[in-house]
Amino acid sequence: MAKARALDKRRKSIRNIRKITRTMELIATARFKKAMDRASAATAYTKRITQLVADLANSGLTVSHPLLEARPETRRAALMVLTANRGLCGGYNSAVLRQALARLEELRAASLQNLRIEVSGKRGIAGFKFKKIEIDESYTRFDDQPKYEEIELIANRLLNSYITGELDRLDIAYTRFVSSSRQIAVVETLLPLSSLTSDEGKAAAEKKGESMYEFVPSAASILEEVVPTSFKVKLFKCFLDAAVSEQIARMVAMKSATENASEMIKQLSMTYNRARQSQITGEIMEIIGGVEALKG
Amino acid sequence: MAQLSCIVVTPENVALETEADFVALPLFDGEIGIAPDHSPMIGRLGYGEMRIRNAGNESRFYVDGGFVQVANNVVSVLTGRALASKSVDPTAAQKSLDSALKKPIHTAELLAIRDREIQQARAQMRVASRSR
Repeated sequence: MAKARALDKRRKSIRNIRKITRTMELIATARFKKAMDRASAATAYTKRITQLVADLANSGLTVSHPLLEARPETRRAALMVLTANRGLCGGYNSAVLRQALARLEELRAASLQNLRIEVSGKRGIAGFKFKKIEIDESYTRFDDQPKYEEIELIANRLLNSYITGELDRLDIAYTRFVSSSRQIAVVETLLPLSSLTSDEGKAAAEKKGESMYEFVPSAASILEEVVPTSFKVKLFKCFLDAAVSEQIARMVAMKSATENASEMIKQLSMTYNRARQSQITGEIMEIIGGVEALKG
Repeated sequence: MAQLSCIVVTPENVALETEADFVALPLFDGEIGIAPDHSPMIGRLGYGEMRIRNAGNESRFYVDGGFVQVANNVVSVLTGRALASKSVDPTAAQKSLDSALKKPIHTAELLAIRDREIQQARAQMRVASRSR
């Protein structure tokens, strides 16, 4: 009986695990929907900013701003890494960390003395600790719903240090949300800003014509404000993308864990039944043997 | 008479979408009033109070910089934050004003940064004191 019972015990514990993973999948699904709603609510702002930049370009203004120009030499760089606070989400954290470490090597190879590392998410912090790389700043308060207010503070600090020359370059490693079935870990350079508009906005910005707008106080003054704003929005979008991608990654990981558990239960049931059957057969054989012995 | 429709968008969401008879906005260098059939314009917002008048009711919001775009009787306000004036916290504003005043200003950039923070904090305090 011993073997069959042990198998049954294992099957029970796997059932419990399956229950947990299934619940986690459901939670991740709910959170994903919420995060997705937030991300799509944010596109209203991005679209309008893009439109505004297009209107500015139409007015014949040449777009130039200190934030858009690369420094002649980059001495002080910063790398920001966005990971999750929690694990159990497949390769989500490790993919971001791998990208980040590769970029870190690159930056180090370019002989930068001052490299600032900022990490968001407990997993990333733990990862850097494991590699024995010191972190200058860490955040753990960003979960599935990052607040613009909090990110604006970080953005302002980075902007200020860029403007005052304490920072020449800012890279960010995060998971970009392409579609709900595709997210990729990437490293992007946020400062200096490569372009004001996202890729979708470029087509709109290209058509030239007379602008019907009056600019108050002046187009140049508006540009002065648009550039930092678009940086903040870009940074915010990185956080939102990371949050959405995290939930998707967890959803997928937990889904496959649940499926694996079901598969395992199936196999264990089969072995359990077989063990039970052979045990019963053995017992019957014993009884028959006993009867035969009494006859004789 | 034509009516304005006023849309306030923050990076997080669409904060407000309403009809309006008149909208007053804090621009970068003064206040602007927008009535229906205003000519198309794009303006840079400062820190201060936005007032929306609709059928005799006036609602007040604190806006945190950004832009305003007026076209075809649609006023779109793009701002980092839009708070009802009542929920502006004067003590937090005082605190950020105090910390801004202590900042070093030995370069022009640092001075500009400090000035912006001071303006922001003072505007918040002003809005808070008026709505009380």
